[in-house]
Amino acid sequence: MRERKPPVAPLPRSLRWLWYLLAGLVGLLLVSPLIGPTDIPGLVVLQIVLHQLTQGLLAPNACAGFALADPCATYITIVWEFRIPAVVLAIAVGASLGISGGSLQGVFRNPLADPFLLGISSGGTLGAVVAFLYFFDNPELLNGLLPLFAFVGSLGTALLILAVARTRASSVETLLLVGVALSSFLSAMVAFLLLYHQQSSQQVYDWLLGSVAYASWGQIDITFAILLVASLLLIAHARALNLLQLGADIAQSAGVDPRRLRVRLIFLASITTAVAVAFTGIIGFVGLVSPHIVRRLVSFDYRVVLAGSLVVGAVFLLVAWDAALLVGVGTVGIFTAFAGVPFFLYVLFRRGRTSSMGGSE
Amino acid sequence: MSLTPKAAAPKVPVRTFSAAWVAVIALVCAGGAAGATAAYFTYAPGAAPAACAPGSTPCFVNVTDDLGRAVTVPFDPARVAVLSPNIMDAMFRLGLRSHVVGVDCYAPAFGGISSDYSSDQIALWNLSSAMCIQVGPTFSLEELANATPSLVLASTIIPAQAVSEIIATLHIPVVILQPSTLSGILTDVGLLGEIFGVVPAATALTVQLADELANASSALAQYPSIPTVLVTYSVDSNGYWTFGAGTFGTSLIVLGGGQSISANNSNPYPELPPETVLSANPYWVIYGTGFGYNESFYESAPGWSSLSAVQNARAVGLDSNYLTEPDPTMILTGLPDLIAILHP
Repeated sequence: MRERKPPVAPLPRSLRWLWYLLAGLVGLLLVSPLIGPTDIPGLVVLQIVLHQLTQGLLAPNACAGFALADPCATYITIVWEFRIPAVVLAIAVGASLGISGGSLQGVFRNPLADPFLLGISSGGTLGAVVAFLYFFDNPELLNGLLPLFAFVGSLGTALLILAVARTRASSVETLLLVGVALSSFLSAMVAFLLLYHQQSSQQVYDWLLGSVAYASWGQIDITFAILLVASLLLIAHARALNLLQLGADIAQSAGVDPRRLRVRLIFLASITTAVAVAFTGIIGFVGLVSPHIVRRLVSFDYRVVLAGSLVVGAVFLLVAWDAALLVGVGTVGIFTAFAGVPFFLYVLFRRGRTSSMGGSE
Repeated sequence: MSLTPKAAAPKVPVRTFSAAWVAVIALVCAGGAAGATAAYFTYAPGAAPAACAPGSTPCFVNVTDDLGRAVTVPFDPARVAVLSPNIMDAMFRLGLRSHVVGVDCYAPAFGGISSDYSSDQIALWNLSSAMCIQVGPTFSLEELANATPSLVLASTIIPAQAVSEIIATLHIPVVILQPSTLSGILTDVGLLGEIFGVVPAATALTVQLADELANASSALAQYPSIPTVLVTYSVDSNGYWTFGAGTFGTSLIVLGGGQSISANNSNPYPELPPETVLSANPYWVIYGTGFGYNESFYESAPGWSSLSAVQNARAVGLDSNYLTEPDPTMILTGLPDLIAILHP
């Protein structure tokens, strides 16, 4: 069936929150590289970034003007190889999880839908555990294969969901229930495997807590490439998603095929999430909360919700990463909840009695 | 809500669905089998490193670590990060403390340096929080870089991602030293001797360790009986954590003159259910102490008070380090202490 172009509604006027959040993201981008266990003067961090970005044209001596105890090369490595990649990966992964959550909540018309509710994270965890099991004795090989296995696990789970979504009997409720059941099943398999491979349980546990501490420029390239393509495609479906919120019948009468839309968006959201999970482990709450914050603060229009979730997700994860570093822990998964819940509750109660999916209560 | 009807039944998704399930289950079963049957790991001794000529700099030696990895390391490195207490113990005994510029710690919120080193070890080895390189919950690559070591000696607790980053980004070789058997402890001492050019000291220590093991082994025939033993280093509501077949823990019990109730367990580090422990009814229960663990902690384990060993004052605490850290101290102090308990 050929899809007709859905009607276009004007964009909401109140976008100031989105600008605030973007400004906040820029501010965080400047501040975050200053945070870390090593005491490096802020000006040195700035000089190192300028030095590296311009191949030495600006700030030719990255540590000029400072009597530093250690060789400057060490600080360049710390800033450019560890801190900046972690910050950039946090932005990319946060944005990925945010837009995935936004699109899935729209597809399922359910405020609890997020990438992890469908079992995508559990699939990634299973893949990671299998990698730990088989390649525990070879750290270098394990490091290379861990993201691949986690990605395959996540995507495999998503494909199962999609297989269900393509059947005639599938409904939104069925898909959610299948996701929850799959998630439980995969988590049980992870626990079962760990019973027989205790020596890797510590590494698996660390992975489950989620972190951007091991970020590399290669990971960033891949994450941003997938994020860019998936985001553009997801936002291209935003108008159809808006129509879907009015009900499948209305959407269909306006030329949208709900089932085809569902399959496409689940696939795009899944692949975006799978990449994030593969490189950082399990980072929950970002995909769930980011779209709600955009809807509450800015608009229910999915053109805004999806774009806004990108920004909110990035800000959210970067704040969590900074908090984790300040506490000296380095696992970001815990702090997404610590940083997000208070703000989420504030937004939820501040904006009165409107449903977070747009309807009146 | 209505869905757009399709003319034909969706056969392909059904096949995909089934095939995917089969693949996932097969993968898990294979993984379970691998985990259940594979040995923890075995040491594969590599070729003896070529001797470095005096004054030839830089000089490197090739070693094979406990994971069987061939690693080229600088000879006698002045700055070394030691990321496991068992390696630190061997380093200290070989007179190499001055080479150590960083040790493993957990995050300050989780105890910092005290999380992995006892107060006795901190004092004896002159360690401080300033030497901390965070290994958990997340490994701090930044702290390691700031310590500027030229060699990292680590256990398998270090995440694979961190090991790879250390090698690829910091260009520092990583040697994994985590022996799975008691003989592996001697091998690792010899390895350190070769890396740091202290072969005579390493040989002397190895001979001392071998003598201790031989003495314990020859004493076995003199014991009137070999009692059954449960050695546990942690408990929770599901049971008792202990050692399985092929581990240094089980070897320690055997040489101590005991018969481990989990000696034949294929899982190297199993958690025994209370029912299993109660039915085995070990004559002795040895539990690890230190790092906040004491008898009252173990009393929380299900079935603890029902064990005849507990009821008859045959549940005895032993420093956790002697049970869980495969290092020279385990053999030189832990083993005699265990013998003294099992055969008073």
